Amino acid sequence: MKNRQALKVKIKKQLVWYSFLVVSIVTLIVLTYIPMLTTIKYSFFDVQVLGFGEDRFVGFQNYQKIMNNSSFLKSIGNTFLLAFMGLVSIPVGFILASLINNIGRGKWQSFFRVGYYFPNIITGVSVVLIFQIVLKANGGLLNNALSLLTGREVAIGWLSDSHYSRFGATILGVWGSMGYSMLINLASLQSIPAEIYEAAEVDGANGFKQWWYITIPQMASCFAFLFITSIINGLARFSDLFIIGGNASAGRPGGTLQTILMYIYQFSFESPQYGIASAGAMILFVLTFVITLVNLKMTGFFKKKDV
Amino acid sequence: MRAKKIRRCIIIVVLLLILAIVLVPLLWCIVLSFDRKAVSALPEFSLIPHEFSIFNYQVAFTTIPLVRYYLNTIFVTVVHTVLAVFFALMCGYAFAKGRFIGKNFWFVFMLAVMMIPFESRMVPLYLQYKSWGLLDTYAPLLMGACAYVYGIFFSRQNIEAIPDSLRESAYIDGASEWRIFFQIIIPLSKPLIATLSILQVLSNWNSYLWPLVVLRSSEKQLISVGVSVFNAQQDAIYYGPRMAVAVISAIPLSIMFLFLQKYIVQSVAVSGIKQ
Repeated sequence: MKNRQALKVKIKKQLVWYSFLVVSIVTLIVLTYIPMLTTIKYSFFDVQVLGFGEDRFVGFQNYQKIMNNSSFLKSIGNTFLLAFMGLVSIPVGFILASLINNIGRGKWQSFFRVGYYFPNIITGVSVVLIFQIVLKANGGLLNNALSLLTGREVAIGWLSDSHYSRFGATILGVWGSMGYSMLINLASLQSIPAEIYEAAEVDGANGFKQWWYITIPQMASCFAFLFITSIINGLARFSDLFIIGGNASAGRPGGTLQTILMYIYQFSFESPQYGIASAGAMILFVLTFVITLVNLKMTGFFKKKDV
Repeated sequence: MRAKKIRRCIIIVVLLLILAIVLVPLLWCIVLSFDRKAVSALPEFSLIPHEFSIFNYQVAFTTIPLVRYYLNTIFVTVVHTVLAVFFALMCGYAFAKGRFIGKNFWFVFMLAVMMIPFESRMVPLYLQYKSWGLLDTYAPLLMGACAYVYGIFFSRQNIEAIPDSLRESAYIDGASEWRIFFQIIIPLSKPLIATLSILQVLSNWNSYLWPLVVLRSSEKQLISVGVSVFNAQQDAIYYGPRMAVAVISAIPLSIMFLFLQKYIVQSVAVSGIKQ
């Protein structure tokens, strides 16, 4: 009798804890796990878009089709190229952070921290609108500045000429993300214990040596973190390039700005072929998954949980 | 000492110059938005409008339902943030202090989601909502908020740091877990709530792809998509009105940033390091 009551109390306790979790668990099953499994399934099927007829199992045909498709391969190339070009924001952020850190804590430091972070706050769409004009071929700010510096008339269509579009897209991207990079770099710089520098000073290490032998190694994990996050964000880049292309996923100009995600969008919503889109989505998933796994391993995420 | 001071001054000047270059596009955008001359041709760069007027804003407000977009976006952002933070705290509390069967399993179950990018399950998700007849409503934008995985992870870390003694004394007084959650955990988690809310507002205001996919009717659209559609229609010309729209859509977050700059900068820095 007593045992049963104790059991009841125990079960009740379990249920109370589960009542905290149940909504999130159900949400994740219905909105994440099931759709993800469906993506895996669709990638092996010829999916009938309009609901006529049965979906047909086609094995790896979708993958074969997509891997032989030159515009998909190009979109993978574009995605990685743009992601790697976007890494410029890391050294830029580091240099800014070093300078800001150098002036010491105080009013100026908070002013610069906030000032340089500000572009990050501007809405994604606004940034594109602004840079479509800043990077314009005729009368754009950048070309004006370049003309002034070189003494020659410069009229590069940074966002409309397919030779330069990736540079234009990178300028726009780095402008938006360097504030974030600066912030993370600065926080990391400030967490280096001052004693290390003091000890180095006693040993007679000068500024450059301190920077090279203390600062850079201490910042390694911060750089790695920024590298991974910026690659992962780069893999899923979509909105700004989609808007630059005039709200279309073809990656204008000349397909140079079509990322994997834009390719998936094209075959999901513009000319629906869900099988192809799902195969593309699976490739995007695998790429992101591998990079995230590397990231978690590096940051010691798995170790922490064992404790 | 003197050399150090001079060096500091030089660095400040250099930083000011770079900052000016970085912010010039924004300044020019604001100037153009007030310039009557910037309609069909792009005027020369200047620090003040060539011909001051609010014409561009009038054009912007009459060509697209900006106020409508605004209200829609505010509604979605607020509801999404409240749902996401509330459920994240609930799960965070259970994972931090609870003792129940399957705790580790469910924790990994939730964190694994971080490795599934939203984009790779977008199509089936879209078809699911389609079959439920929920396309062109705000349900697809809001339902996902009930499982804010990063927030759960972050809440667990923070709630773990709250001493158990508080909970135990409440226990002795006969309080249930839910009461402890509402009366002890939530009041003690204000900084945590602030950080998560800020991160939520920032990401929601800028969300683009998903609203573009699920919302069809233009009067339901959010500001980011609404503005980009307007932009695509006005390809090439209409510089002033386009800049006016850019300013309008950037204003809410900018104002929020000016008031909460310290907290926002901190939230972003903290979330980055602990991630």
